[in-house]
Amino acid sequence: MPSLADRSPPILLLLLLLLLLLLLLFFSAASAWKKDEFRNCEQTPFCKRARGRKPHSIPSLSAADVSLSDGAVSARLLPSQPLRQATAGDDPESDRDPPRPLLLRLSVYPGGVLRLQIDEDPSAPRRRFQVPDVLLPDLDNRRLWLPRLSSPAAGSSSSFYLADGFEAVLIHDPFEIQVRWKGSGEPVLSLNSHGLFDFEQLRAKKNDDEDWEERFRGHTDTRPHGPQSISFDVSFHSADFVYGIPEHASSSLSLRPTSGPGVEHSEPYRLFNLDVFEYVADSPFGLYGAIPFMLSHGAGSSSGFFWLNAAEMQIDVLAPGWDDPAAPAKGRIDTLWMSEAGVVDAFFFVGPEPKDVLRQYTGITGTPAMPQEFAVAYHQCRWNYRDEQDVAAVDAGFDEHDIPYDVLWLDIEHTDGKRYFTWDRVLFPNPKEMQEKLAAKGRHMVTIVDPHIKRDDSFYIHKEATERGYYVKDATGKDFDGWCWAGSSSYGDVLNPKVREWWAEKFSFQNYVGSTPTLYIWNDMNEPSVFNIPEITMPRDAIHYGDVEHRELHNAYGYYFHMATSNGLLKRGNGKDRPFVLSRAFFAGSQRYGTVWTGDNSANWDQLRASVPMILTLGLTGLSFSGADVGGFFGNPEPELLVRWYQLGAYYPFFRAHAHQDTKRREPWLFG
Amino acid sequence: MGDRLRIFLTISCLFLIWISASASIPLSESLGIAPQDLSYYKSDVIKCKDGSKKFTKEQLNDEFCDCPDGTDEPGTSACSQGKFYCRNAGHIPLTVFSSRVNDGICDCCDGSDEYNGIVNCPNTCWEAGKVAREKLQKKIAMFQNGITIRKQEVEEAKQAFAKDEAELLKLKSEEKILKEIVQKLKEQKERIEKAEEEERKKKEEEIRLKEAERKANEAKKAFEESSHDSSDQAPEKLSELPNQDAMEDHHDSAIEEKSDYTAETEISDSQAVGKVANDHDDTIAKSGDETDDTIAKSGDETYDTNEESSFSHVEKQHLVGDQDSTMLKADTDDYTRSKEAPSSHVLEQQGQVLDSTEGLSREELGRHVASRWTGENAAEEEDGVDTAKEQGHEHDEDIPEENHGGYNSYSDEDHNFDDDDFEDDPDMEFGDHEEPAGTDSSDENDKTDYSDLTSSGSSSWLDKIQQTFSNVFQAINFFKSPVNISEADTVRKKYEDSSSKLSKIQSRISSLSEKLKHDFGKDKEFYSFYDRCFETKQNKYVYKVCPFKKASQIEGHSTTQLGYWDKFEESYRVMLFSNGDRCWNGPDRTLKVRLRCGLKDELMDVDEPSRCEYVAILSTPGLCLEEKLKELQEKLEDVNASRPSIHDEL
Repeated sequence: MPSLADRSPPILLLLLLLLLLLLLLFFSAASAWKKDEFRNCEQTPFCKRARGRKPHSIPSLSAADVSLSDGAVSARLLPSQPLRQATAGDDPESDRDPPRPLLLRLSVYPGGVLRLQIDEDPSAPRRRFQVPDVLLPDLDNRRLWLPRLSSPAAGSSSSFYLADGFEAVLIHDPFEIQVRWKGSGEPVLSLNSHGLFDFEQLRAKKNDDEDWEERFRGHTDTRPHGPQSISFDVSFHSADFVYGIPEHASSSLSLRPTSGPGVEHSEPYRLFNLDVFEYVADSPFGLYGAIPFMLSHGAGSSSGFFWLNAAEMQIDVLAPGWDDPAAPAKGRIDTLWMSEAGVVDAFFFVGPEPKDVLRQYTGITGTPAMPQEFAVAYHQCRWNYRDEQDVAAVDAGFDEHDIPYDVLWLDIEHTDGKRYFTWDRVLFPNPKEMQEKLAAKGRHMVTIVDPHIKRDDSFYIHKEATERGYYVKDATGKDFDGWCWAGSSSYGDVLNPKVREWWAEKFSFQNYVGSTPTLYIWNDMNEPSVFNIPEITMPRDAIHYGDVEHRELHNAYGYYFHMATSNGLLKRGNGKDRPFVLSRAFFAGSQRYGTVWTGDNSANWDQLRASVPMILTLGLTGLSFSGADVGGFFGNPEPELLVRWYQLGAYYPFFRAHAHQDTKRREPWLFG
Repeated sequence: MGDRLRIFLTISCLFLIWISASASIPLSESLGIAPQDLSYYKSDVIKCKDGSKKFTKEQLNDEFCDCPDGTDEPGTSACSQGKFYCRNAGHIPLTVFSSRVNDGICDCCDGSDEYNGIVNCPNTCWEAGKVAREKLQKKIAMFQNGITIRKQEVEEAKQAFAKDEAELLKLKSEEKILKEIVQKLKEQKERIEKAEEEERKKKEEEIRLKEAERKANEAKKAFEESSHDSSDQAPEKLSELPNQDAMEDHHDSAIEEKSDYTAETEISDSQAVGKVANDHDDTIAKSGDETDDTIAKSGDETYDTNEESSFSHVEKQHLVGDQDSTMLKADTDDYTRSKEAPSSHVLEQQGQVLDSTEGLSREELGRHVASRWTGENAAEEEDGVDTAKEQGHEHDEDIPEENHGGYNSYSDEDHNFDDDDFEDDPDMEFGDHEEPAGTDSSDENDKTDYSDLTSSGSSSWLDKIQQTFSNVFQAINFFKSPVNISEADTVRKKYEDSSSKLSKIQSRISSLSEKLKHDFGKDKEFYSFYDRCFETKQNKYVYKVCPFKKASQIEGHSTTQLGYWDKFEESYRVMLFSNGDRCWNGPDRTLKVRLRCGLKDELMDVDEPSRCEYVAILSTPGLCLEEKLKELQEKLEDVNASRPSIHDEL
């Protein structure tokens, strides 16, 4: 602003300008992110309950019948003392039946990975959901066979080999899991050290008066199976910082404490895949993807913890002194993990180097797929390149200005009424020819394919999905009918492997009319985004394959969709052409299927800044092939911002410029 | 036979050698250098063109970049800033970025940019050149024709401009004369009316007195001779009454003449006249100001149905001219309504919806959320807006439609930003509106009425008025009492005729001067565009561009303004329309119409490269310029000159 200072206009004018600016800012802030439309922890009963607990305030569980079976440790978790009525009344749902024993299993994988599984016993009224197809298929074969258990101190704990220099310990009463250095006994990771482990077991309704329903913004979640949340504390010892658990927009790579002394009122980090309109640059609220994997790093060593659970998760990073303000722990970070449903299927990674933690994590969820060369080059996208002439003109523009680019993208408007796999016949009468023209110059094209399927009886995909029963069902058992770009839409039940196979077939050259071998795919809106449901996503009581509730797998829906698309491209090329699929939603393991980006960001400096920790965080959690929309999706970047964004974007692993349809054109040569 | 074969084979061999030689050009020093540049590279030590360094002949095209500007590597891709020249014999020479050299893609039609054997680029220059030459020749032919047409049009435009200017000048002088006449007539009329009033009062007084006298007489008679025969009194009384009736009839004659004249109309009429009469200054500038004022003010003004009804009423009275000022106001009202009302409506609605999403149906909620990204209104809102727009639009259509006929397209177009004013283009179809029934005849009358003004002998009407005026002056003795009824009528009629004519002249003056103040190009080549609109249909939209006025996008009944005339840009190659309807979450719409040489005036290819920033192409002879033709002809000569001789022989 040197020119302002030079001219020194009347102060009144300056003040007026400032006021106008503030008003504008206020207006834009008010019109952007709809905070009220998303649930916070207070409005989420399981989160509110778990977050309100003090350390060791709930009845503890102890491990009984600890033994080795099939080369793994197994035990039963039972109440430490006969159940007291002391805590009854702190909330209605704590009024429980005497708990059944929980089944605990500890197993070890090569490279320093300890797996903890806790589930209900077979007498539970319903089987809890275990997220399938995320862990590498050969993981079971790689499991280490534990030869023995040692019980050093009069049977109060059992320890066993974990990796060279590390051992795992199960402390019996109250039960606690520890990973520690073998010689010194220094702890690395521990679970339930603060006695916050709580497992709401499935049960029958006590009486018909009991109200399990949850209401939010005019929508009722029937919750037919009642409360079933799980929460526990995890401690990272010898840790100064923790990282990971994307996706959140943040100006900081390390995770800031969300609770405890010195923390202003903050929400926990929320992992719940959501299509957030105009998200803000610094917030623990959930965005498009979820990877419940946290890394710690300290002067001594690094370690990691991963909870394979696809239900809504909330994670608190607790500031030192949260448990005892008088004696804040030094060099240790405690965290509180809360999930609405599912089981405990958790992995402890011993490290000790950061790269070891990554190797251990990707050892179970997979390494990133090798991208094709063109995919790591520059991508040019816009909502929307309108027609074939527009495509040709943009392509020519790059040549004319000697700017290299490799991929041109088509957003939703290229379709016939948002029926994916179709082309708007007026705007794109010759899609093959168009792609071939690009291909002649070594360039590729990407079209968008979203998961919502237009409910139009003349649309073959809708017809097939309806006839075969391939759609997600609503709570009443009918095909779920939501609203998205296509209008009234249904969603393929991609949890079902058969549906994924069916979906993959749609990408064959015969099925996807107008596609050529140089056409690749973009999966958007796969959180899934449903415009007319609170939080802009599918209701939690929608029903998937195997009677799984949507609440149980929500965070993995986009992952399965991404997987199906990627497999479709693989099949299309007879396994000889590496797929390229960009997805907005993601989960642990998405790295195996393609790339992701940070969704609908905005053209401002804060978001430019936030893109760096966001992308680095994705890299730290295995999703190394990721990027942010260069230039910012919403709004018009000033030329300086756009230049800087290109400069930064060149270093994004996935480098794509994208823009909202309301923005001004910003192909790189338009700025002189 | 054998000899022939041998010769043929020899020639073929030579030809093949020639081809292979030209196909695998060795990496020569001169590779990628334009002929005019060859001398620059002659010396042993060569300077980089940017002056930064020097390099030796050995360093030329040695695949190592010595000069930052690429001077030393014209034939390789070693320098990122370099340029490669391909001769493209048979076609147009081309300079490509050095990044295109040996990149596996054929860029030059002679294939000279790909010489490392990755790809084999056939020489396609002759075929491509042929196509290009034909195109160029066609273009030249078109320019030649276009230039002829342009000359004619420029001539016509100049004449039309001169004619309009002359007319304006004449109208102004006529206005001056007429104003005086109107003023005098007004004074007379007032005097007559005053006299009439006095006369009437006097008569009334007389009657009252007579009556009183009569009553007194009667009483007296009755009193004096109750047995007397009073029959001779009756005839006297009877003869008096008709007299009085006639008086009153006469008094009302002005009103009776126009039997369905309403009081309202009379008021607005006399106001208009009063205004005109009071303005002794030239009204052109003023009327412009007034219009501006109305436009500025009209935001606060609500549309008054009274105004509308009185207004259409007047139409039926064939008194268009008198009502002009009222009409102006009504029209500008309309225009602002149609422009502003919908947007405020949308804002309101959005505001309401944003506040609460509860109580929406599932579909509504879906649409509402989608609209955050798209900016489109949910269906219900859209309907609302459409109706609002339509209402405004229909409004527009009804009223000025009548007006339009009356002025034979010369009406106050600049104030009526309304579709119907631009109907002059004969090609246009705009069948949406219906002609209001019963106005045809009035239109006809108006036309004939107006033809007084514009007919070739237009000076005669003024003479006539002046003549009758002086006649009236001579004939009437204003101080004669009682007032001669027929004379008073004549004055009144003359006054009304003249003031109506004055209004018409003034409106014509204002529209003419509005037109003439525009910039119509270097040679006034765009003069004929003033009264024309160009249309093109693309998908569901009809685009309508009216130069010097406005441009709109029409979808069914709803019209979106893409912009109002702003100016020419890029030395009359672009017409800019700006400040169109506002976009949600975006700017006011604008339209840039790029002009290009063509034999017909034709609008095509409307496009929206950025949200709400439209571009279109309009072909017109106006852009067929001699300089450009010369350029094209030179280019053709160049291409022909570079034709390789071998092809001529074959």
